[in-house]
Amino acid sequence: MATRWKEWLTGWAFVFPAVALFAVMGVYTIGSGLALSFASWNGFTPNWIWVGLENYADLLWADPSLAPAVRRAAWNTLHVCVAVPLLTVLISLPLAVTLNSVRRLRGLLRSVYFLPYVTTGIATYYAWRYLLEPEGSINLMLRSAGLGSLARPQGWLADPSTALWTLILILVWSAVPTATLLYLTGLQAIDPSMVEAARIDGAAPRQVLRRIIVPLLTPMTAGIVLLGVRDSLHGFQIFLIMTNGGPGGHTSVLALETYELAFFKGLAPTLGLSSALGWLLFAGAVLLTLANARLLRRVR
Amino acid sequence: MTAARVAKTAAYAALTIYAVLSLYPFLWMVSGAFKTREEILDGGHLIPREPTFDTIVTTWNQLAFVDYFRNSLIVTGLTVLGVLVVYSLASYAFAVLRFPGAKALYWLFVALLFVPGITVLLPVVILENRLGLLGTHMGLVLPFVNGTAPLTVLLLTAAYRSVPKELREAARADGASEARIFLRVHLPLTRPAHVTIAVLTAVPTWNEYVLSRVSLNDESLYTLPLGLESLISGTVVRYNEVLAASLIMVLPVIALFAFLQRYFVNGLVGAVKG
Repeated sequence: MATRWKEWLTGWAFVFPAVALFAVMGVYTIGSGLALSFASWNGFTPNWIWVGLENYADLLWADPSLAPAVRRAAWNTLHVCVAVPLLTVLISLPLAVTLNSVRRLRGLLRSVYFLPYVTTGIATYYAWRYLLEPEGSINLMLRSAGLGSLARPQGWLADPSTALWTLILILVWSAVPTATLLYLTGLQAIDPSMVEAARIDGAAPRQVLRRIIVPLLTPMTAGIVLLGVRDSLHGFQIFLIMTNGGPGGHTSVLALETYELAFFKGLAPTLGLSSALGWLLFAGAVLLTLANARLLRRVR
Repeated sequence: MTAARVAKTAAYAALTIYAVLSLYPFLWMVSGAFKTREEILDGGHLIPREPTFDTIVTTWNQLAFVDYFRNSLIVTGLTVLGVLVVYSLASYAFAVLRFPGAKALYWLFVALLFVPGITVLLPVVILENRLGLLGTHMGLVLPFVNGTAPLTVLLLTAAYRSVPKELREAARADGASEARIFLRVHLPLTRPAHVTIAVLTAVPTWNEYVLSRVSLNDESLYTLPLGLESLISGTVVRYNEVLAASLIMVLPVIALFAFLQRYFVNGLVGAVKG
């Protein structure tokens, strides 16, 4: 009995710092954020005005000055969280398989491929902005390759038809490093005798890849897709820094709208709206993850 | 050429193309940092015609880089330290100790993965304003540490579980305390996992912009991303200086990663297997 108590106390002592931090930074913020989503407040008046579900209704359909922008941001966000994980897998899986098939330079290439993860953030976003300018290197390269018709004279981020997809590709570029590294570790964990046995049975390399390697990597793919969807829903640094939602809302995403409502509306009482939108985003994240998990289970 | 030879050449060609793509903005960062104000404007060439150190020197002098570096080091260092201490203890408890509430707490921390940072950003700012933490470095570190909980707990718990039970039981039989077993048995065996967590925490913290932007007002407390931003907020953007500052900001991270890379990869392998 005494030893049991001792183990309980030790356990609680070990988790105490994490729980204490969560009690301060987590419980209160989540609780008050949720409460605020049912209120109207501008951040300066002493009291919140309770409005029930009005904020949610305003965001979703009731307020004609808000709902269309929210719907558009939701549509853009959906693009991002479908396209980014999908393209990440489509690039990093073949990349990892190819890298795993060669010997020379493998270590060096692995480090080079990881570089975008290490440097991603404001510094790299500014560099991309420079490259995507009207007279930036991407346009100049297209022109000198005789593909001038593809160049964007306004610049890739200012052109409404390319801005969102340009940002999606940069997000993919920053997501490929970790995905590739995860696939590489997955590939190295595959028992070589399994591949060998299939080969002896006369399976062509392509069949080995499709029937053995890709199925064995499915758990990895599931992880990459789930985290990719989550990051696409949660992350908006790149949208804030590179376009701030522009041109004309073509790259606005839900998290960015939430941020604007929270910090850039001056004295207008939009803090409750911002909270409500944040929780809608949370609901979206949970739903998408559940849908994804089900889909991946079926594939497996 | 044999078929195998062709395949190999194609493989290296594809690998090289992606390597160039990975390096692309970084190469232009280096290139731009050595160009003059005039040369950066007719920018189609990668190699500077008249490479100059002036740009880096002017940029360095123009911004309070020493302050920014110090601030970024403080914030990132404290965050990494906090994450490692707080969540290695908790994960150890989740992985090997039995106590009421262990499972519920573990799943609570993992479930936080779904709460978007932006959803709690405003409440964090309101809370810190009340506590007098807003605008301080501690006011950044605490939410950053708390925010890494889900992934860290997942990875570290898996790592500690992979340590053979027999080692722990032997140490216990010898009368070692739980703290001692944690420090002497589990920590040394799971070092790569901790390096992985350190890198996965340090990189986003070093680059963090949103919470820093809305909470820091005092310029002497600015971190590197905010310092960098001040170069681009003017009407005329001098991209050679922006690229030089970007280079100054990312070089230490690259150096650190090059140094830690071996452990990082091993830690990831362990985490994936666990």
